[in-house]
Amino acid sequence: MSRSIYLSITLVAIFLGLIMAFQFRTTSAVDKGVPFNREQELAMDKKQLEKDLSQLREEAADLSAKLDEAGKGNQIFALESELAKQKLYAGLVPLSGPGVEITLDGYEHARVTPTPVHDDDLLKVVNDLRGAGAEAVAINDQRIVATSEIRLAGNHINVNMVRLSPPYRVTAIGIAATLKSSMEIRGGLVEYLSDRGISVVVKEQDNVSIPALNSIPTFDHAKPVQRG
Amino acid sequence: MKIKSYHWALALVGLVLGVMLAMQFRVTGEIQHNETIQRTRDLSGQINQMKKERDSLQAQVGNLRAQIDRLPSSPYASQLKEEMDRASVLAGSTELAGPGVQVTLNDSSISVKPGDNPNLYVLHDEDVLRVLNEIKASGAEAISINGQRLLATTEIRCTGPTIVLNKNKRLAPPYVITAIGNPETIENSLMMRGGVAETLLFWGIQVSVKKLPQVTVPAYTGGIRYDYAREQGQ
Repeated sequence: MSRSIYLSITLVAIFLGLIMAFQFRTTSAVDKGVPFNREQELAMDKKQLEKDLSQLREEAADLSAKLDEAGKGNQIFALESELAKQKLYAGLVPLSGPGVEITLDGYEHARVTPTPVHDDDLLKVVNDLRGAGAEAVAINDQRIVATSEIRLAGNHINVNMVRLSPPYRVTAIGIAATLKSSMEIRGGLVEYLSDRGISVVVKEQDNVSIPALNSIPTFDHAKPVQRG
Repeated sequence: MKIKSYHWALALVGLVLGVMLAMQFRVTGEIQHNETIQRTRDLSGQINQMKKERDSLQAQVGNLRAQIDRLPSSPYASQLKEEMDRASVLAGSTELAGPGVQVTLNDSSISVKPGDNPNLYVLHDEDVLRVLNEIKASGAEAISINGQRLLATTEIRCTGPTIVLNKNKRLAPPYVITAIGNPETIENSLMMRGGVAETLLFWGIQVSVKKLPQVTVPAYTGGIRYDYAREQGQ
């Protein structure tokens, strides 16, 4: 009799062991499973890659056309048009297009204790505009290029080593509605800055003019890496 | 009588166990053939394919640019090329080398005490933005972060523990910022009293600056196109 009980218990124990092992495997499979936003992320990556690819194909076609032109003896034309394109991407060409104009001032808002606009505030505004797809940005007509700093210096803010004073007028070219909503989104910068006592006015514009960087800088340290 | 009731109980337990086991099997099977996982697998396969295509296109574009650069020289042509070299530093279209610094940023090494806000001990997009701004202010000529070139349009955004820039390039800590410029000036302005590094170091965020006689900053690896901006007067 006692033997049959032991047998039953052994049997039950084996089953339990199996179930537990399966449970472990299932749980770890679920952990490795794909959370919903991972899929969204991938879909967004794919969309951006498609854009990258089409732009790179355009670029390759454009360069080949210029080389063909050069092959026909038109080298100067090829170089001039390539230079024009590089200058465009560098921020050395004045641009215009649809976009927004954002005016920030620290001392006009009476609702809360007024605070001056910090360099960090402008840095965040510019960063958010870039995130919303701005193609060109300027602060008080100082074009923001790859090397532009936005930095507090005394009571002023320096951009491209040029001293700016408030009110700060940030202009950006892109999809006006997208740029505007990236500022005015709940918990966004307009809310944050207004809470700090800074007045922020965002205006959509059909045509924003953004000047070029005042002069092509000279670079003392960076040298192109020669390939091939 | 007593034995019989034991047996009944065992039979019942056995039955329940069997049903559980069967269900377990089915759940496991379903998870493995989950549609989302399948779709994500497809998607990431496609993405990898596209990335390869992008890299080869990028190489092709670089090659074409080099060919343009090698076009026979006349005095006017070399003037154009010289101007193009300067413009391309800002445009981010060429790989550059020169003296500079390597700045490494990483999340805090301090273990968060219970009741403390763990958010204070991790790196945020704002911190990276501030460090980059400081580097620009100290005269850096070209900057990349984890191999991604910084352009005029480069945004820095936090998504959970990672940072996204240049629209879809996702970076994970540690963040290694490479900048070409005067190594002394960049180090001094980062490490100065009351500067960016001091605030970050207070929270235990790891900041280290390495001065190097030669660093390389890669070219931008995506495409650029303006869809909305036009040249003025056109």
